[in-house]
Amino acid sequence: MKSLLDKARQAKYVGVAELADEAAKVLFEIGTAQERGTVSEVPDERTIRYYLSEGLLSPAEEKQGTASVFGYRHLLQLLVVKKLQSEHLPIRKIKELVDGRVERDLERLLGASESGSTARNDALRYLETLLTTQASTAAPQSRTLRSQAQPGAMSARAALSASPAQPSPPPQQQSAGTWQRIEIEPGLELHMRGDYQPPDDARQRRRLARNVLRTIESQSQRLQKARR
Amino acid sequence: MSQSIPKLEFLTERTRLVAGRDQTVSVLIRVIPPEVDARQAARPKLNLGMVLDRSGSMGGEKMEHARDAAAYCIDQLLQTDRLSLVIFDDQIEVLIPSQYAENKQGLKEQLAHIRARNSTALHEAWVRGGMQVSEHLTDGAINRVLLITDGQANVGLTNTDEIVTQAMELFKRGVSTSTIGIGSDFNEDLLLPMAQAAGGNAWHVRAAEDMQRIFTVELEGLIAQVAHSVTLGLVPSDGVRLSDVLNDFELSETGRYKLPDLQAGSPLDIVVQLRVPAQTTNSKRHLLDLRLGYTPQEAKSAEVIKQALELEFDSEESVSRLPVNHEVTKAVRLLMNARARREAMAHMDAGNYVLAQHVVGAALSATRVACAPMASAPDVQAEYESLASLGESLEDRSQDKMNRKRLAYESYARRQSKKV
Repeated sequence: MKSLLDKARQAKYVGVAELADEAAKVLFEIGTAQERGTVSEVPDERTIRYYLSEGLLSPAEEKQGTASVFGYRHLLQLLVVKKLQSEHLPIRKIKELVDGRVERDLERLLGASESGSTARNDALRYLETLLTTQASTAAPQSRTLRSQAQPGAMSARAALSASPAQPSPPPQQQSAGTWQRIEIEPGLELHMRGDYQPPDDARQRRRLARNVLRTIESQSQRLQKARR
Repeated sequence: MSQSIPKLEFLTERTRLVAGRDQTVSVLIRVIPPEVDARQAARPKLNLGMVLDRSGSMGGEKMEHARDAAAYCIDQLLQTDRLSLVIFDDQIEVLIPSQYAENKQGLKEQLAHIRARNSTALHEAWVRGGMQVSEHLTDGAINRVLLITDGQANVGLTNTDEIVTQAMELFKRGVSTSTIGIGSDFNEDLLLPMAQAAGGNAWHVRAAEDMQRIFTVELEGLIAQVAHSVTLGLVPSDGVRLSDVLNDFELSETGRYKLPDLQAGSPLDIVVQLRVPAQTTNSKRHLLDLRLGYTPQEAKSAEVIKQALELEFDSEESVSRLPVNHEVTKAVRLLMNARARREAMAHMDAGNYVLAQHVVGAALSATRVACAPMASAPDVQAEYESLASLGESLEDRSQDKMNRKRLAYESYARRQSKKV
């Protein structure tokens, strides 16, 4: 499927019909098991217009005459929506998952179905980290160290270091309900939800770093004032 | 077998509902897994990692039975199945590294070396067993660790929540864990949640001689597994309210109920209660939409079955002439008793043994009334006996640990439609 998508990376689709054709082609190749019934097997033009009106697909960024021109991101959005539908998620939920995602995130969401091979070493890798942290955490105060090696933190690290060619484990497999506390340095802990994914895009990451620093600074100023 | 799909049945006490009044209707949803091909070759491959406690308390009869059960397990494997065995006390030893079950005699001879020893490094042993399975993680196979212990984790990581979380994380990476607790001294608050979080089964072996039977149930379940990642979505139609799901299933992140794996020959009984507004006589109403999501054993992607529940409404007089489906009454009662067991457990934990006993006694009386028309059915008989003996045994403070385990495991087995 990876190679299928690679071909599509630079492609442009003029008009809803072309986008529909391409999506149908890719869906056929991956063979997403779509349920029988209300969800249409491959997205037709009417479905795509509906997705556009619901905001599941971003509006086209350019026009050729009267026709909208769609690109790789639109194709990914469409594929992700169909995939999530085949996993019987309601439209509302799908919108939450797809909204504002960059191409990398969308690729990752799509990758979930082919987790078989990536999961293979993942299980072993995970257990190995459990053993190494266990060895290094004999003392009770090192609880935070152990939690560093815990799943949430691990997958975040994996996601940061993963190259674009190597999709990291599917993010939605992390449980949304579990939170991890990770010690950054003495006196500072990070509280992170199991399904949190750091942004991939450099600008977004700088924004995140700025936000974190600003929050720490304003909080510590407030505490100092309170102390005085 | 890839073509066969599970069937769904909706059953209500009577086939029609009384018109003209608001009412609560219990609906038994029976999920009937497809039958597997009788040829053994059709069963999923197994990649098993047994992790066996040989701490001091496992000595004598228990260890003997554990060895027998493991030997039995080896006998049942096909040459294409993998098996490993990790034994542990405070030391961990990979007695049988993961290998195909080709030389069964040789494998069984290894078991003779197991002798009971020191304390219990449960967590690390589980990790080691998991590694044996993970190294040979096989797509389409059941990759499972089978943790067998009679004791409390007291060496290494012992924090229950952390171990449960780790077991869940390993499951997300393709390896499930079943747990078998033996006797009355293990920690059910670890082993039960651990198996549940890790996509496996939790079993309680009350007496050592039951060990082989439990092994058989676990192994036959694996062999008969036809689908995993089973979820249930329930959407009541307008005006109808879903007031209860008696199985108390956990919810998935997307708001679906998480169901146990589907095994051929073992239907799942689910009871939901619907609050239905008054309808006119001779009308028909759509009450509920149901979506069963599952992944067939040898497939990679999820499939969905959708079905709608529609019922007809009639006058009270004609409804009362319809025959009663006792299966529904029974299913409701048995699941209510599962709740009663958990309630009794909570009372025990609060030190209120009288109340615990009262709850169990009340459940027994209610069952005798509700299930009177089918009192001779074996599962009803078994339930009478279980509740009666629990009620008696709750008098005896020396039985507290065992009773708490019985309450926990019996409740769990019922909610998950597991038959031991």
